[in-house]
Amino acid sequence: MAYLTTFYWGWLLGSVLLGFAMGWISVVQHGDGIPRKWRWWVAALVAALVAAAVARVVPGRFGYWLDLGLIMFGLYLCGCTIGSWLRDWVVSRTAPPA
Amino acid sequence: MRGLFKWSSKWWPGVIPLVIFWAIAAWTSTEPLEADLAQRSAAALKDTVLNKTRISVAGRDVTLGADAFSEDGRQGAVASVETVPGVRLVNDETRLVPEAKPFVWSAERDVVRVTLSGSSPLPASKSRLMEAARANLGGVEVVDRMDLSRGAPPRFDNAALLLLDQIGKLKEGKITVSDTQVSLSGMARELGGREAIAAALKNLPEGFSVAANEVKAPPYVFQAYKDPVAVTLTLTGNVPDNNVHAALVAAAGRKFFSEKVVDSLKPSIGAPSGFASAVVPALGALSRLSTGTLVVSDREVKLSGDALYEAAASQIRAGLGKDFPQGWQFKPEISVKPPAAPVDATVCQQLFTDLLGKARIRFEPGKADIVADSAGLLDRLIETALRCPTANIEIAGHTDSDGDEAANQTLSEKRAQAVADHLVRAGLPANRFSAVGYGSTQPIAGNDTDQGKAQNRRIDFVVK
Repeated sequence: MAYLTTFYWGWLLGSVLLGFAMGWISVVQHGDGIPRKWRWWVAALVAALVAAAVARVVPGRFGYWLDLGLIMFGLYLCGCTIGSWLRDWVVSRTAPPA
Repeated sequence: MRGLFKWSSKWWPGVIPLVIFWAIAAWTSTEPLEADLAQRSAAALKDTVLNKTRISVAGRDVTLGADAFSEDGRQGAVASVETVPGVRLVNDETRLVPEAKPFVWSAERDVVRVTLSGSSPLPASKSRLMEAARANLGGVEVVDRMDLSRGAPPRFDNAALLLLDQIGKLKEGKITVSDTQVSLSGMARELGGREAIAAALKNLPEGFSVAANEVKAPPYVFQAYKDPVAVTLTLTGNVPDNNVHAALVAAAGRKFFSEKVVDSLKPSIGAPSGFASAVVPALGALSRLSTGTLVVSDREVKLSGDALYEAAASQIRAGLGKDFPQGWQFKPEISVKPPAAPVDATVCQQLFTDLLGKARIRFEPGKADIVADSAGLLDRLIETALRCPTANIEIAGHTDSDGDEAANQTLSEKRAQAVADHLVRAGLPANRFSAVGYGSTQPIAGNDTDQGKAQNRRIDFVVK
């Protein structure tokens, strides 16, 4: 993991920034998110992929691409989380008292 | 936390560019990553002794194929690659080098090259043996047909290096090590080489032994060439020691009265027994030829050339082998020189005088027995007599003045008769010759010195 981080930090940083931007936007975005039922399916899919990566069952280049995708996805989620929290903090500070 | 859960439902649009990022990253990074891991894996194996190492990388998975020389080495190689940062999995396709039983290594020398074959324990040993072979054999092509195998006996390298030293002493042959048993065959390059190899084999490392040493010595060769144009006798090849050397050169000087002896002999060990006893009479036979070559190879004597007349050829063919020690073989290839043109009596006398001026017919002291050294001279006298078939010849015997006059007279008559008999045995008609003894009555030099006496003891041919 450390090797991959040093090897491709640019792509990983891009994933974080992308997530940060998405998280920033998502706080004030109107409209519906993905349905709750879907979320469980997505979570289950991601969990299955993580399990496959940890168990190293996907061989060769596909295994590498899976690892790379999961790392980028994980960093994207981190970026989203930070972005959303920060945006929420900024919004709550500047909003007039109810 | 609840907010986070709510917001997260709106994060999905970013996944679309993320997937594009991922695709680009995967597209651009896979091959550089694989190349980097392959290079790091190879570097990790740098200090591990392996053969036929193959590294292929797919993604972060390394497939390692190699022949290892021990189980520890094999496991160590796999572990080394596993610890390379970034490697996810190692597909172990390593195996142990096959074990050779028995462990056989050989070095074979032929006319143009040395071939190393069989098993070698490690790549380093293999290259060391090749280097040693090239260094020892300067210039000779060295061919590597060695495989790598486990199961070499301890100290194999030392034994093989010592044996490679010996292959340089062979003209052709093979040295084989089978486990700890060493076998040698072939022919030594030089006389004494076989003995040098046998001595070196005593230094084989502990545990090794010589199962068979069938290295043969090269033939022990002595050659003599009588050149009638240059009027030389050239002696080449080997003699056992300085005493035999001196004896042969002295014998050649006595037998070849008109030729200059060119001595290129060198003392070498390994002469067959009875060498001098065979070579001296063979030189005597060569002295009877007008031109000829004597080749003594081990116990085989080959004499080729032209005899001066038919009877001489027959005598040499039939007689020489009888003079040899037991076990010696004689292969005569004697032809007869075409007869020289007839001459008149005056020229004949001149030819006799010339011949007897160069050398004298020798007898045993106080006896009428012609010594063998005079055979060449007698043949030339006979050849001359054949050129003047109508001339009658007086064979005149003379002595010095030592001793009783009556005895000298008798001795001179007997010696003259012995020479006449010899000529008759050669096929000349007896009625052409008259043997006359003059005792000491016709000296040609003073009898007061040994030199003068020696000149007076003589046989003269007088054409009547």
